[in-house]
Amino acid sequence: MKKPYDGYMGKVLFVDLTNRTHSLFPWTDADRKRTLGGKVMAADILLRHIQFGMQAFDAENWIVVTTGPLTGCGCPNSSRFNISTISPLTGILTSSNCGGDFGLWLKRCGYDAVIFTGKSKSPVTVSITHNDVVFVDASKLWGMTTTETQERLPKRSGKLVIGPAGEHKVLYACVFSGERTAGRGGVGAVFGDKNLKAVTAFGTAMPDVRDREKLRKINEKWVHILRTHPLTGRQLPKLGTAGLIAPMQAHSILATKNFSAGRFDGFEKICGEELAEKHLVRNAACTTCAIRCARMVKVDDKIVKGPELEILGLLGANILNDDIEKIIRWNYVLDELGMDSISAAGTVAFAMELKEKGVRDFGLEFGKTENIEEMFHKIAYREGDGNILADGTRKMSERFGGKEYAIHAKGMELAAYEPRHAVGHGLGYATANRGGCHLNAGYMVVVEGLGLDVDSLTPHGKAALAIMFQNLMEAVSAGGECLFTSYAILPGFLIDKPNWPVTKIILAAFPYVGPVVNLLSHFTKIAKINIPLLPESYAIKYATGIASTMASMLTWGAYGYNTERIANVILGQKADADQLPKRLTNEAQNPNDPRTKVPLDKMKKVYNRARGWKDGIPTWHRLKTLGVPIRKEVYDAAVKEAYR
Amino acid sequence: MAKVTVKLFGVFRVDTRTPQVEIEVEKLKDVFFALNEKLGHIQMDSGLRFKDAVVYVNGEACKKKAKPLQDGDEIWLLSPASGG
Repeated sequence: MKKPYDGYMGKVLFVDLTNRTHSLFPWTDADRKRTLGGKVMAADILLRHIQFGMQAFDAENWIVVTTGPLTGCGCPNSSRFNISTISPLTGILTSSNCGGDFGLWLKRCGYDAVIFTGKSKSPVTVSITHNDVVFVDASKLWGMTTTETQERLPKRSGKLVIGPAGEHKVLYACVFSGERTAGRGGVGAVFGDKNLKAVTAFGTAMPDVRDREKLRKINEKWVHILRTHPLTGRQLPKLGTAGLIAPMQAHSILATKNFSAGRFDGFEKICGEELAEKHLVRNAACTTCAIRCARMVKVDDKIVKGPELEILGLLGANILNDDIEKIIRWNYVLDELGMDSISAAGTVAFAMELKEKGVRDFGLEFGKTENIEEMFHKIAYREGDGNILADGTRKMSERFGGKEYAIHAKGMELAAYEPRHAVGHGLGYATANRGGCHLNAGYMVVVEGLGLDVDSLTPHGKAALAIMFQNLMEAVSAGGECLFTSYAILPGFLIDKPNWPVTKIILAAFPYVGPVVNLLSHFTKIAKINIPLLPESYAIKYATGIASTMASMLTWGAYGYNTERIANVILGQKADADQLPKRLTNEAQNPNDPRTKVPLDKMKKVYNRARGWKDGIPTWHRLKTLGVPIRKEVYDAAVKEAYR
Repeated sequence: MAKVTVKLFGVFRVDTRTPQVEIEVEKLKDVFFALNEKLGHIQMDSGLRFKDAVVYVNGEACKKKAKPLQDGDEIWLLSPASGG
């Protein structure tokens, strides 16, 4: 029987690592229509599976690797896949969207997703083809870096691998696919705990699409939009994400000295322009990418992936280092060891402040760079003090103190944006489901100075905008798309002509459109239209046959966000857990301007009301309206526990 | 006339391959004319114009083009799109 929806391969693989067996996981077209794919699909699967008290390193914790319906359908920037699991760093769900080619290859094997459960007794590589799943001994790969491991796997295949950090269960270890990373939340540590060193996928199947001609036309238009938009067609290809350092400095949002300031005197030595002029060898791109933002640089005579904005900021300004060559090298070392650079750098900065305040001396201090590479190795292998830093900022602050300047949200270290000069971004950090992540936060800085220039210090309208962007980016990710494609929804002229009177009027009015945006987010059916600036909704319709509009995108996003949130509550997230460290909410960045701190409580009140949440927990009514699959007795027990 | 330093960032710097220039001007709006004279011969790939820049004077955002400048002022011109 022909499946009602195209775009999908129609099967989900379930792999039991304990017994080394595999089977098909039931997943119907109703499930596809409800979740779309990617991280929303993964959250739905995990919500049905998780139990009270389940933890990251339990054998029953599932790793869910999902693709989106657009993956493999010829759409631009659609090679993404997602890994979701219980995070060892935060104890709640994490989801990591990765640009490597594993998702494409998985679909070629005939699967939309693969779920791993159990624990292998010895290191294993799981090799997936469209006929079979083979468990290969990985003892010889154990101990190898991410590059060495990938070099020893079949060249013509999609790969997921971990490095030494994953093997030693560093709580922020990541998973690599080619040069791209499923970076945040420690998915690599869960791989390591399961003795899962690598996964390969090789197949030749291709998804059907519903209307090939219309999809081809919308893809052409989509590529044109991405290549002519000021952000995706000019800024990112020319400077990569590293091009943000200078504007972040200008807007006072460049995290400096463990987020105690928003500007760094040495920013010109670590900025994207410096990287482009002196170190860039060439641009690179994920498969199917129309943007090409990745930077390739030279380290030890090898051409390797260059640093993104996050590591330039967090291993530059945030530790008072202005040596870009060292950052390039550390970026390479962290990739080889298989560690999330954001969390690693944030933890190092916290250790430096502990030393400065005389709390604990890890040998790390602001401005001193000689021993940082050595510390990264110690972290990856959990040697000496590295064993302490391997547990991340939150656990260190619980052990040694300094919670007010332990820069994390829900246990996840913040990205390089200092939110006291972009308060909506601060709200996003606090409310993001996976913790202190700039993307899951809704990437509010893109309207608060780094794209549009909406007043970054006013709390007005920020809750509504954060919700809309969080939902939209959730849906874009679920479709299998790169999140950068969502920037194209911002009209180019508002960005390119910041000094036009029309632009100034629109931007001044922006914070006051909150109630309208709220209506749109809550009653998504209002938006039953497609808009040319968001070609995803057209592409989903033409690829799958699912009726898709802007309204569907916002509904999938809201469904995903609420599903993840209630799953987190079942996993132990407390009421009112959406918090930031006191440094960011109680201390003004500029002592002469009291607006330069995050008015979190004020914004959260509006946010919770607009989301249909109470104290950060979705109401039963909200979950039922969205159709989130949870039983009333489970919901009641979880909420009771959240207030205990 | 004030002697000022203009630092270019973003696409302006990449396209013109010029990190900074020293110029003598009276007001902020004169900076754009001066830059066009000095660097106008370089065709910017992006088609951007200096007058569309986001401007900072001595680290402070400045939208008043009639602002008088003083000796030693440092002006940052950022290309008007930075997301990533």
